[in-house]
Amino acid sequence: MSTPGLFRFPAPLTRIRTVPWGLQLWEKLTLLSPGMAVTLVPMAGKRDCPPLLSLDENELEEQFVKGHGPGGQATNKTSNCVVLKHVPSGIVVKCHQTRSVDENRKRARKILQEKVDVFYNGENSPVLKEKREAEKKKQERKKRAKETLEKKKLLKELRESSKNVH
Amino acid sequence: MELWGRMLWTLLSGPGRRGGTWGWAFSSWQPHSPLAGLSSATELVRHWTGVFEKRGIPEARESSEYIVAHVLGAKTFQSLKPILRTQPLTPQQLKCIQELSSHRLQRMPLQYVLGEWDFRGLNLKMVPPVFIPRPETEELVEWVLEEVARRSHTVGVQGSPLILEVGCGSGAISLSLLSELPQSRVIAVDKEAAAISLTRENAQRLQLQDRIWIVPLDVTLEGSWTHLLPWGPVDLVISNPPYVFHQDMEQLAPEIRSYEDPEALDGGEEGMDVITHILTLAPQLLKDFGSIYLEVDPRHPELVSSWLQSHPDLYLHLVAVRRDFCGRPRFLHIQQSGP
Repeated sequence: MSTPGLFRFPAPLTRIRTVPWGLQLWEKLTLLSPGMAVTLVPMAGKRDCPPLLSLDENELEEQFVKGHGPGGQATNKTSNCVVLKHVPSGIVVKCHQTRSVDENRKRARKILQEKVDVFYNGENSPVLKEKREAEKKKQERKKRAKETLEKKKLLKELRESSKNVH
Repeated sequence: MELWGRMLWTLLSGPGRRGGTWGWAFSSWQPHSPLAGLSSATELVRHWTGVFEKRGIPEARESSEYIVAHVLGAKTFQSLKPILRTQPLTPQQLKCIQELSSHRLQRMPLQYVLGEWDFRGLNLKMVPPVFIPRPETEELVEWVLEEVARRSHTVGVQGSPLILEVGCGSGAISLSLLSELPQSRVIAVDKEAAAISLTRENAQRLQLQDRIWIVPLDVTLEGSWTHLLPWGPVDLVISNPPYVFHQDMEQLAPEIRSYEDPEALDGGEEGMDVITHILTLAPQLLKDFGSIYLEVDPRHPELVSSWLQSHPDLYLHLVAVRRDFCGRPRFLHIQQSGP
């Protein structure tokens, strides 16, 4: 019995291309072995997204509840936390965001990929660049909102004072 | 001993009581925690984890995390916004957590404690004693979806594929297939009235009731499948049938033994009773080259294979065996080919 049925992310995930999809950009993880399922990882809201460093499955160590005991109907486990380690950098990610092991595995990889990219690319990492940009936009929005509020206040005061005159 | 009697028996003779009284389990509930009113989610989790551990409740931390998260409206503790984890909880929330935890202390499976659980991203209502979907079964559905996608001529055609699920329980398999195959139709059968009722309810909750027919039916009863003939033939049959070996039933955890319907688990001496019924009757309902997908015990691939060989008149062949995420042979694809 061959192993591909074991994991949904077999063999190295070494090629990442960015494919525009409407207004969203989707990262397409291309597996080397033909005929394998392609996994789409959504990256919302980015118009122009440089690819992150790819993760090699062979460099990852994964731990999730492997059912001590018979599994299947004979077991009822609710622990589906996934612990994923990138061996070369030593970075570990724990994901328990959802109730699905499969979904947690996907998300753990996404988070780990971002952390690994930051680890190797530092400030140049698209992850950090994007964060800085988002923060900048947020500050600008705040500034504009504050200015608008002050203008409104001023307008209100002017109205009140002109009322008093009558 | 019937299910209710067994539950009561377990409550009255559970382990680890050591000098403690049973009175608290039935009388009005006193809070364990002197921190009432000031506790945050994180502190509550720590507190109840300790309580569960002391009482030998398995998955102590997971159980308390899920209960607290549930009361705060989140599916997992980690998905709670950090600020919600440190804010003090209201007395109402504390009371709720207490109530849910008291059920968990009685070894009620978490999914019944919360009254709901997720399956492939769908939220389903859970009610004892209807069988709780297992995580492995998500992969059974995944496999079927992959195979259906490969046979692309059935995708996009209205009413296609037409699927029969045997033993629908809470409706997990049927409803996730319907949800992920927008053109599909499902006939879901179960011999248990509670399962029929719960599947109906979950179908309504998910607004999938228009494409599913839920039929009370015991496939082990002679002539039962003839009732399904008018709906057929079907493209595929899918099932997570009771497959536990009878001798293994008593080794099951108290959560399972005391709360889930044993008929949803017990497959007879070799765990094959319901499986063989499905295999015997499927050819009558399957289209040519139609498929059967089963979740089974790891010992079954061999047993099923030899059983099929000794029943050549069924024209069924074991096409593939797939492992679950723990590496155990868990899923079978059997195909019909011939008269």
